[in-house]
Amino acid sequence: MFKSENSIYDVVIIGAGIGGLVCGCYLAQAGMKVLIAEQHSKPGGYCTSFRRKGITFDAAAHSFGGFRKDGIVRKVFGDLEITGRLKITRYDPSDIIITPDCTVKFYSDMERTIEELENAFKEYPGRVKEFFTFLLNPAQNSFISMRAWTYKDLLDRYFSSPQLKSVLSFPIFGNGALPPSRISAFIGAKILTEFILDGGYYPDGGMQCLPDILAARFQEYGGTLLCSTFVEKIRVKGNKVMGVVVRQGDYFAAKCVVSNCDTVQTFCRLLNLGSTNRDFVGKMRSMIPSLSMFVLYLGLDGKFNSGLCPGSNMWYLPSYDIESMYLVAMRRNMKNLNEYMLRVSPDRRNIVAFTHTPYRNESYWVKNKVKFMEAFIKKLSLIMPDIAEHIIYKDAATPATLYRYTLNYRGAAYGWESILSQLALPDFRKPSFIDGLYLCGHWVTQGLGIPGVTYLGYDTARQIISKKNRGLL
Amino acid sequence: MGLPKSIEMDIISIIAEVAGVEEDEINSGSKLVEDLEIDSIKAIEIVVAIEKKFNIRIRDEDVPKITTVNQATEVVNSLLDQSASDV
Repeated sequence: MFKSENSIYDVVIIGAGIGGLVCGCYLAQAGMKVLIAEQHSKPGGYCTSFRRKGITFDAAAHSFGGFRKDGIVRKVFGDLEITGRLKITRYDPSDIIITPDCTVKFYSDMERTIEELENAFKEYPGRVKEFFTFLLNPAQNSFISMRAWTYKDLLDRYFSSPQLKSVLSFPIFGNGALPPSRISAFIGAKILTEFILDGGYYPDGGMQCLPDILAARFQEYGGTLLCSTFVEKIRVKGNKVMGVVVRQGDYFAAKCVVSNCDTVQTFCRLLNLGSTNRDFVGKMRSMIPSLSMFVLYLGLDGKFNSGLCPGSNMWYLPSYDIESMYLVAMRRNMKNLNEYMLRVSPDRRNIVAFTHTPYRNESYWVKNKVKFMEAFIKKLSLIMPDIAEHIIYKDAATPATLYRYTLNYRGAAYGWESILSQLALPDFRKPSFIDGLYLCGHWVTQGLGIPGVTYLGYDTARQIISKKNRGLL
Repeated sequence: MGLPKSIEMDIISIIAEVAGVEEDEINSGSKLVEDLEIDSIKAIEIVVAIEKKFNIRIRDEDVPKITTVNQATEVVNSLLDQSASDV
């Protein structure tokens, strides 16, 4: 028996990641009765922060993009009237790539970035600008033509220099965990435009400020946020969602359910489709999740000067062969920690660094976490020789940690791999076989990162509001 | 001559799912951008889903022609005719 059947919501959202929160805000703003159930004790998913020894660390997401004049994050913050409630700084340069031969900086002034790239790689004059202009101002149909291209195909159309192509691929590898020959051109282009050419934004106080302000706004609009609330099941009658059952035993009836969890959890655990829709679940089970990551957190004493640029994402590219880098990342161990990203916090009190790695299993990480951490610190000491003397706190998130806090399938950093065969699958956003169910996280195969899931949260809410306005909810 | 209704119905069903509207709200003349607010991400979803459903490959030069449901049906139909005559 369920404890209560009297809580009827227009929409229940499972998961308070950025996608779920944005969706919830728009729905509550439109006057709908909305509940967000989050299993963790705080909202944010991969966009959370934590404090140790008085220092604030960002758990995974460490800056965001999509905040230019017509960027999706700026639009959403404007619609929800929260822009003025956050102090957001754009660190400039947002990204710095240290190649075997030179250092390339991505500035907020795109012309300066173009000049730097053209000087460093002697490409045809004007070619980099042409490429960036195409990506930033695409014609409606140009992205459709790219649906069958890999990012490598796209780069090959513009550039001849292998080094330049590698530099323009490394941040895509860093933010999508795929090499240019595997990642879809569409997703690669999105990462380059939304994370790099319009990246480097950071809320004063840490990344947790983003979900916190969205959660506060959601509640101001009348929404109910329940943290530490694990959803056990989505109830379906016929082919229509009825509500959700949470671990505490409560049942919340709903006209619509939005899952901000991964698709495996949604379809297998929450809906138990394994026995009734074997074909669909079988296909999903054969899909490839993106790699996970190992994230190192170092708290520093106030005396350390890294000599690096605080607030900028520093990408260490050990060789130009990103294809091999991916193959090595798939069998990462502490002896092949080659490429990584590092960011010194704006207050210089911490360093967050990460590298991609497969999930393996929990016992592997219990056994190897400390060794990995020490190997990573040793790697960092090559560029910051005296860092070890200034560390006052150290810890790391392994793929098992990422899974434990967010429940992302196999601790995947970016949902399903953004390969061509896994791009834009409509049943992952609005399954045709269940009425009233929507999904809106990075697992739905159309968007990555904070700009990607912000769009998905916004668009999902728009679809539900439109349904309500037409009297169909 | 009218186009086969079942092809159009399948296309409407795909577009309805992606656009988040009901099938009976879409007709042959519905404009993808103006009426159904299809953005670049949804346009990719629709084209990929149509290609999978009919096992065809829409040529790049045909993409700009698709601005209404009817035009999508015409493009699919001509590709299906072509692949039938290729056999």
